[in-house]
Order: sequence, then structure tokens, then C-alpha cells
Amino acid sequence: MDEMQFTPSSGPTLGVELELQLVKSHDYDLARDAGELLARLEKVKLPGAVKPEITESMIELNSAVHTRYAALAAELDAMRDAVVREAGMLNLQVCGGGAHPFHSWTERRVFPTERFKHVLERYGYLAKQFTVFGQHIHVGCASGDDAVYLVHMMTRYVPHFIALSAASPFYQGEDTSFQSSRLTAVNAFPLAGHMPFVKDWAEFLEYFDKMRAFGVVESMKDFYWDIRPKPEFGTIEIRVCDTPLTVERAARLAAYAQALARWLLDERPRPAQRAVYLVNAFNRFEAARFGLRGQLIDPFAETKRPLAEDILDALAGVMPQASALEGAEALAALAADVRRGYSDADWLRERFAANKSLAHTVRESAARWAGDKPRASG
Amino acid sequence: MSLGFLPQLPPAFGQPALFGALLLAGLLGGELVRRLLGLPRITGYVLAGVLLGPQVSGLLAPGALGEARVLIDLSLGLIVFELGHRLDAQWLRRNRWLFVAAIAESAFCFGAVLAALLAFGFQPLLAATAAAIGTATSPAVGLLVAHELRASGQVTERMLLFTAVNCVLAYVALTLLLPFLHLEHAMSWREAVLHPLYILGGSALVGFVASLAMLWLAGWVGKREDHQFILLVALVVLAVGAARSLNLSVVVTLIILGMLARNFDYEHVLLPLRFGYGGQLFFVILFVLTGASVEFTALPGVAAAVAAFIVARFLGKGLAIVAFGRLSGVRPGSAGLLTLALLPMSGLAVVMVLDTQAMYPAFGGELAAVVLSAVAVLEILGPIATQFALKRAGEADPAAGSA
Repeated sequence: MDEMQFTPSSGPTLGVELELQLVKSHDYDLARDAGELLARLEKVKLPGAVKPEITESMIELNSAVHTRYAALAAELDAMRDAVVREAGMLNLQVCGGGAHPFHSWTERRVFPTERFKHVLERYGYLAKQFTVFGQHIHVGCASGDDAVYLVHMMTRYVPHFIALSAASPFYQGEDTSFQSSRLTAVNAFPLAGHMPFVKDWAEFLEYFDKMRAFGVVESMKDFYWDIRPKPEFGTIEIRVCDTPLTVERAARLAAYAQALARWLLDERPRPAQRAVYLVNAFNRFEAARFGLRGQLIDPFAETKRPLAEDILDALAGVMPQASALEGAEALAALAADVRRGYSDADWLRERFAANKSLAHTVRESAARWAGDKPRASG
Repeated sequence: MSLGFLPQLPPAFGQPALFGALLLAGLLGGELVRRLLGLPRITGYVLAGVLLGPQVSGLLAPGALGEARVLIDLSLGLIVFELGHRLDAQWLRRNRWLFVAAIAESAFCFGAVLAALLAFGFQPLLAATAAAIGTATSPAVGLLVAHELRASGQVTERMLLFTAVNCVLAYVALTLLLPFLHLEHAMSWREAVLHPLYILGGSALVGFVASLAMLWLAGWVGKREDHQFILLVALVVLAVGAARSLNLSVVVTLIILGMLARNFDYEHVLLPLRFGYGGQLFFVILFVLTGASVEFTALPGVAAAVAAFIVARFLGKGLAIVAFGRLSGVRPGSAGLLTLALLPMSGLAVVMVLDTQAMYPAFGGELAAVVLSAVAVLEILGPIATQFALKRAGEADPAAGSA
């Protein structure tokens, strides 16, 4: 039962996991050198950790636990630089984005570790199609009950995170018309979706034990929920974000999650309500398909409104919390992007329209990840 | 009744029939060797060539081989262009030790082969010429094996990079040895100095001009894969033709064209290069023809020197990779595999020998026999070594099957 023991966090701490694409410098298709790169990075002193992910085309950056946005941003920056530098020694490039625009999933190979082999055996082609790249944001909670409350309340804001991070308009060589096509790949898994509407941690444990007794899951890892509690870290983990095209944006998204969590846990604006889950699928689709141009149904006010407006209101609403956490600047930057209608997905489409080649779109995206000055707005 | 419309018997088959026959022979040979022996298809292409060639069946007469030189040059041109295009100057800039390792790989190999040949009592100048030829790895084998295995990874990338570098250096060394060969033949100082300058400078110039034309036209054509493919083939063939008629080096011209087209593409007008099925045709032709021109008959007489040549070549390359590989980021286990992958010699070496012989008949006899016999052995063993190395390094795509 140790695994399910909720380790309390001191306040809304922050942590980020970023799944990154490794691409070859000569054709910008996905590379298969994650193992080589990880071996090199082992010898480099890094603030966080870099880990293998399911395919050999992917690495994952894990930040340390932070209380302030600025420290997280600085750490991600340093990790980004180290990874880009070491990848360069191997003639590889690294880029953000929720999916590789033109790779063919049949060519992906799964990383040869036991867990990943098991995933491949169990899920077949889904596991390979799951070559998508996400950002996970951890926010600390003082108790399991807080975590349950926070998961329910954060669900209303899931479309915000989808729209603000969306960066996978192209998938397997096609414009999917979605802002985030990655989310669709996640949906295919049997344990995707959301946490059931439990009222507290005790009830959640009951549910978990039942599922384990059924043999549906072995551990929390088997739930691919949009937001899930992570008892051993004492956090909730928001998993709906595409990996943005820059570390700056990744850090800003985390700052927004932190401010929201602080507001929700400190003010407890309302009790958790089942209604959020009634509109969740609709809101989630709108955000993935249309991004900032989508609609959102507010389950509490029972109104439909433009998602962008809702995001701007929420950003303004939690600004006091953000200021207290020294993250106001991050939220202001996100708000400015929403106001001018900027998204990473649109940037990718714009670059493709300009250079008419998905390979060159990946090249520009990698240059942007590495910190080069972007050509277009953003 | 006269049937004047009937051809004279036996009918004279021209170039098209030759082209078709070579392709068919290559296809059959490659597939048979793969199915029956589980060896790389390339080995089958070469064996098909050997069987057709003057040494076995004589279906391909030496005269036909002369005519086919155009095909060899075209195929080699396309392949060497692709190789040059893979040579990423930025990688060398970021990873200086890699550059050192690539230079050392050529230098050590040259030195080792030279020492071996001197030990066999060959005249220093001619031994150096042979060592220069031996420095080059076959670009065609490396690229084709990598293509067919859909290999991707550090050993593959480095094999191609080292091959590009050692081909260039081998040619430069060979050209720089020209003045000495000239002097040996009591030609004028002026000719001795100007000839290598003409070859290197002229080839570089043609490659440079062609690369400018390629980039300019690619920008104008736009990012259409089909149109860019035609453009690339057109300019490669033009450059091959220009190099041939100006008595320049096809290989140097095309490798420079490839390198500059890649590294001068500041506006990013070129799409990633994919020769696909069209490229395959030229690979098959090249291997069948080099198979037909290999020289086995001399092998028994010079077997010891050939063995020394091959072993010294391997050790030279291996020593450099072991010495500098770590610093450039080669994992310890991969150094041996990379050395093995660099083993092949083929069409390029045959062309080098033929060219040198044409200019200096003294570079004939026993030494040419040693080099050509080494080529013959490595034609067969090389692709097997490269395939083994890439598979063993885990860089082959398991779905791609065997090369």
C-alpha cells in the first residue's frame, strides 16, 4: 500500500516533465539515437534528470521540484542548452511540439526496456502510434483530499491547457485540422479519460483497490487520465499539454497551473461538482480541434463562451496568486499571446505555408527550440 | 525474295539492351544470393557481374565495358553526390574531434597500407599511389547498405561521414602524387605542377558552379519533390559530363557539388534528398559493372601482398577510430563496428586504378594487380562486413529485412 501513501507537499510546488523529439539533421525525420544521447548526458552535470521514453526517438526532461516560476524556467533553460549541445555532437536536433509532423509510425521502434516491451505487447499498434510528445505539469498538494478536490476543480481548466499548449497540427504527413492532434492518440487507450467523481482520498483508494483487484490496473501508471493524483510525489499531474515549441512557454504553463492551484486550494471557491465531467468531453474536443478559437461550456455558470475569453478571465482572476508566487510575468505573457491569437500550432502551420515542406517546418521548429530567433511572430 | 527488313545475324545489341541486361542480371543475382546464402544483395550484383564479365563467361566483352564507362561514371556521380550531400559541415564544426577522427582515419589507413607495401618491396612512389587508392571506402556500398537496411544511428552516420572524408582525401592524395609520377616520366616541371592544380581546381570550380545553378534553380522550381529530383539528376549528369569532357575528376567534382549544395543552402531551398527507386537502378548497374571489371586471375600470384594490403588497411582505420573515436563520441563497443563498416572497396577504386594506369602505364603490372585483387576480395566481403556492422550496432530497421 506504500505506493498509494500520499506524501504531503509543502504548498503548491511545481515540477515539469517534457517529452522531446529527436530528429536527424539531414532529413528531419525522427532519429533513433535516444540511447546514445542519454549515455552522453549521463556524463554531463544537469540540474534535473533526462530519461528514456517509450520510443528511441524520444527523451524526457524532468525538472526538479520548485516553488518559484523563475527557478523552474532557469533550470529548463539550462537543461535545454545541455541537451541541444550534446545532441549536436551526435548530429541530432531536438524539438518541441506534440507530434512529429511526418514520421510514419510503422517505422518507430520501442525502447528495449521491460516496461516498454510490455506496453508494446499489450497495446500493439497503439503503443507505436503513441509516438506523441507531451508536457506533464506537477503541482504539489498538502493531502490526498486536497489532491482529489484539485483534480475535480482543475478539470474545468483542462481546455485552457490544451489550447495554450496545442502544437501538433500535423500528423503522419497531413494537416489534421486539429490544433492538438496528439490528444486524439491518447484517447485511444482504454484507461484514458478522467478520474471518477470520488469525494475524497479514502474513496479514491477504495476505487483504486477495486480496479487493482479486478486486474484492470497494477499501479497508478496505468491510468492515462487527463489529470491524475501522484501520491508518491504528493502532487496532481496535468497531462493534457502538448510539449510547447519553447521551454519558455512550458515554464509559463506550469506557472499558470501553480497559480490556479493556489487559488483553488486557498479560496475553495465552490465544492467539487459532477457537472464538470458532463461537459468535459465537449470542451476538450473544442480545445483540441479549434484551440483558442474554440468554445467552452462553463459547467458552473451553464453558459457557452469563447475559450479565449474564458482563459483571459481566468488568467486575470488568478493574477494575485501568481504575483504572490512571483509568476505574474509568466501569466501576463500567456495573456498577451491569447490576445493576439498566437498559438504554437498556428506558428507551425504558418511556417509550413511559407516553406511548403514539413521537413523544413521541423527544421525551423528545432531551431526555435534551440533558442534561435523565430522568423515569424511568437 | 529478299527479307531486307530482317536484322543481320547475330543481331548487334546496343546500349539499351546492355543496360537492360545488366539490370536484369543484377536483380537475379542479388535476389538469388540473398535467398540461397542470406548474403547482402550487393554481393549478388557483384557476382552477377563477375559471371558476365570477361573473366568467366565473357558475355560482357572488354569493349562493352569501355562503352559502359559512361554508365559507371553516371552512377558513381549520383552516389558520390549523395554522399557529399550527407557531409554536414556544421556537424564537423560542432564536434571538432570528429573532424580530427575523420582525418586520422584516412591518414592512418594511408600510412599503414604504405608501410605494408613498402615491406613487400614496392617502389615508394607507386606504393604511395596504391595506398592513396586504398584509403577510400566504397561510397556506393555504404550508402546502398544503409538504404536497404533503412539504417539510422551513430555508426551509420559516421560511416557515411568518414567515407565522404576519406574519398576526398584519397583523391587529393592521388592528385598530389601526380607531379612525382610526372617527374619520374621526365616530363616538364610545369606540367608536373599544373596538372594536379588543374584537376583539383577545375573539379572544384565545376562543382561550385553546378551547386550555384542547383540552388538557384531549386529556389525557382520550389519545394516539389518530383521536380527537385529531376533537377538534381539533370545537374549531376551535366556535371559528370562536364568533368569528363574537361578531363577533370568526376568524383571530386560531384562530391564538391553535393557538399556545397548542402552547406551553401542558406535559404533552405533544397528538400531532403531521396533518390528512391530511380537511384537503385544506378546502384545495381554500378555493382554489376564493377563485378565485371574485377580482376581475379592475378590473385594467386600476389595473395600475400593482397592480404597485407587488406589487413593493414583495416588496422589503420581501426587504430584511428579507437584512438580518436571516444573523444568524438563513439561508444567503445561501436568503434570496431564502425571500422568494419568502413571496409568495402569497390567501383571507385577500380576507376582510380584505371585512371592512373591510363596516365602512367608504369602503375601497372604487379601493383595494380594487388590493388585490383584487394578490390575483388573486398567487393565480396565488404558489403557483408558493412551489413553485419550496421545490424550488430542495432541501427538496421528490423522491418526492412536484409540488404
